[in-house]
Amino acid sequence: MAKTTDPRYSPITGRAILYGVLIVIALYYLMPLALMVVTSLRSMDEIRLGQLIEWPDAITFEAWKIAWNEAQIGARDELGLRPYFINSIIMVIPSVAISTLLGALNGYVLSFWKFRGSELFFAALLLGCFLPFQAILLPQSQLLGWLGLTGTIPGLVLTHVVYGVSFTTLFFRNYYVNLPHELIKAAKLDGAGFWMIFFRIILPLSAPILVVTVIWQFTQIWNDFLFGVVFSDPDSQPVTVGLNNLVNSATGEKRYNVDMAGAIIAALPTILVYVLAGKYFVRGLTAGSVKG
Amino acid sequence: MAELNIDNVYKSFGETHILKGINLSIQDGEFVILVGPSGCGKSTLLNCIAGLEEVTDGRIVIGKDDVTHAAPKDRDIAMVFQSYALYPNMNVRKNIAFGLEIRKMPKEEIDAEVHRVAKLLQIEPLLDRKPSQLSGGQRQRVAMGRALARRPKTYLFDEPLSNLDAKLRVEMRTEMKKLHQRLGTTIVYVTHDQIEAMTLADRIAVMKGGVVQQFGTPQEVYDDPANIFVAGFMGSPSMNFLNCEVTESGGNYAVQVDSEGRIFQLPIDPKQADLSQYLGKTVILGIRPEQITHVMPHVEAEPFVTKVPVKIEVTEPTGADTLVLARINDQECECRVHPTEAGKPGEMMEMLFNMSKAVFFDPETEERL
Repeated sequence: MAKTTDPRYSPITGRAILYGVLIVIALYYLMPLALMVVTSLRSMDEIRLGQLIEWPDAITFEAWKIAWNEAQIGARDELGLRPYFINSIIMVIPSVAISTLLGALNGYVLSFWKFRGSELFFAALLLGCFLPFQAILLPQSQLLGWLGLTGTIPGLVLTHVVYGVSFTTLFFRNYYVNLPHELIKAAKLDGAGFWMIFFRIILPLSAPILVVTVIWQFTQIWNDFLFGVVFSDPDSQPVTVGLNNLVNSATGEKRYNVDMAGAIIAALPTILVYVLAGKYFVRGLTAGSVKG
Repeated sequence: MAELNIDNVYKSFGETHILKGINLSIQDGEFVILVGPSGCGKSTLLNCIAGLEEVTDGRIVIGKDDVTHAAPKDRDIAMVFQSYALYPNMNVRKNIAFGLEIRKMPKEEIDAEVHRVAKLLQIEPLLDRKPSQLSGGQRQRVAMGRALARRPKTYLFDEPLSNLDAKLRVEMRTEMKKLHQRLGTTIVYVTHDQIEAMTLADRIAVMKGGVVQQFGTPQEVYDDPANIFVAGFMGSPSMNFLNCEVTESGGNYAVQVDSEGRIFQLPIDPKQADLSQYLGKTVILGIRPEQITHVMPHVEAEPFVTKVPVKIEVTEPTGADTLVLARINDQECECRVHPTEAGKPGEMMEMLFNMSKAVFFDPETEERL
C-alpha cells in the first residue's frame, strides 16, 4: 500500500485529533457533575444494596425534597437547606449590587476625574485583590463588633462589599480607560456634570463589564464559605455553611443521595447565572483588549 | 457671536511647558486656524479656550466676559472633536438634543432646534440611527450638528476632518467654509494640515514649540513668512531653501548660485530685503517652486528674473504641473514647470528664477531678513 501523503487530508486529521482531545477533556470535567445528578436521583436503599456508581433503577426526587426542606440541619427548627438558601439570596443581592456600583464609580473617577495621588490610590486599592480571606478575619470581626453587626446578614454584606470593591474597581477602571476621553470632554461642554455624565453616558456604555462584574461577584459571594461561617449566627448562615452542616453534622448513615442533591441545590444559582450571561462574560473579559 | 482674546496664556504640566505666552486677538465672526506640527501646543490651546484645561497663567476673554476660570459649560462655546465623540448609547436625535436637555430647554423648542440643525446639515433621515450605524462623513455631520444646536458664541474644531478619507475631506472642507459664511460665527479650528489651513482660514496662527510663530492671513503667511519654520511649513511642495552668498552686481544686491560649475548672479528686489549687512556673507534664499519655471517670454522680460540652466535629477508629474528636482549650489531645488516643457532626468533645462517674491533668512537665527 502506498503511503497516503495527500495534503488534502492533513487539516482534516488535525481537526479530528483536536476535537477528540477536547471531547475527552469535556467528558472528564462533566463526569463529577453527572455522577452527582445520577446519585441524587437514586434511593438510599438502592445505593446501600448496589454499587456507588450505577444508573438508578427507579428515578426518585425524594433526596431533593429531603435536602430542600426535610433534613434536620444542626439544631434549627426550620428543616432543610431552604432557610440557608434564602439567607444566601438576601445576602448576595445587595452585596453584588453595592460592590458593583461602587466599583463602577471608583473606575469612573480613576479613569476620568484623576486627582493628585489617584494612581497611588488605585495601586493601594489593588492590593486588596491580593489579600487572602484569612488575613482580614480578625480586623473584620473587630469592626463588625464595633458596628453591632456581628452575626447578621448586613454584617456579611458589608464584609463582601469591602472585600469585593478591589476587584470591581479593577474591572471597571480597566474598561473605562479604553473609552475615549473626548466623550467626557464633549459631555462637559454640553453642560453635563459628574453624576449626569456617569448615569447618562458612562453607565449605559458599561453593559459588557457590568455583566462580567456581576457574574464574578455573584460567584465569589455565593460560593464563599469562610466569611459565611465566621461572621454569621445560626439564623444568618448562607447556603454554603448549611450544606457543610448537612453533610458533616448528620449522625448515622451517610445519605449520599441527599448530600449530592444538597450540593447541586447550593451550586444551582451560580450555574444558572453563568448559563444565562456566560457569553457576555467571555465577550466582556476580552472587551477593549482588541481594537475594532 | 463675540471676539475672543487670548492674553499671554501659559500652560505647563509640571516641568513640561506646553504653551509659552500665547497672545491672539480674534475678531467677531473670524475663522481662525491654529496650525503646526504634532506637539506644538495647538490642541492644548484649544482645550484651554474650551475650559477643559486650566491655564497656568494669562487670561481668556470671550466678548466682554473674562472666562479664564469659568467652567466649560458657562463659556458659551461648542466643540467638534477629532473622534467626533458622539455618545454611542444615544441616537442622532438624542446626541443633538443632549446639551439642550441639560440646559432645561422646553421639549418643543428642543424638537424645533434638532430639526433646524438636521435640515441645515442634511442629516434628517439619520435622526433615529445610532452613531455605530453611520459612516465617517455622517458622524462628522452629526458632531457638527451637536455643536450648532446650542447656537454658541464661539465654535472650536479639533482636527475635525482628519479621520475622513481624502475625497470626503475636500468636500467637507468646502462645506465647512460655506457653513461659516452662512452662520458668520467665530471659529477656532485646529489642524496639522497646511492645505486645510490655507483654504479655510481668514487668519492662520502658525505654532511651534508652544509659541505662535506668525499670525496673519493665508496670503501673508504664504508670501511673507516670519521665519524658516513658517516658510517651510506652509505650502506644498514646500519652499526651497538654498544657502547662497550675497554679492553686488550693477548697484543691486544679488545672490550667487552655482549650477553644474557655472556661476550665476540672481539680482534681488530691494523691496524684499535689505542685504547690505550681509554682503560677502551667506544667507538662506527661500524661493517657492512656482517661482522657478520653464522659459516663458513674458516672464523673462520682467525685472529680477534670471535664466539659469539646471541639471534635472528627478521629475514628478502631478498632472497640472510637473515638479522638476534640480541641483543648485549642491542642494536640491524643486521647480514647477508645465508638463510639456519638462525635460528628462539627466538633461539640462533652462529655468527662470523669479526673485520678485524671494525671501531671505539669517542662517544662524533662521529669522526673516
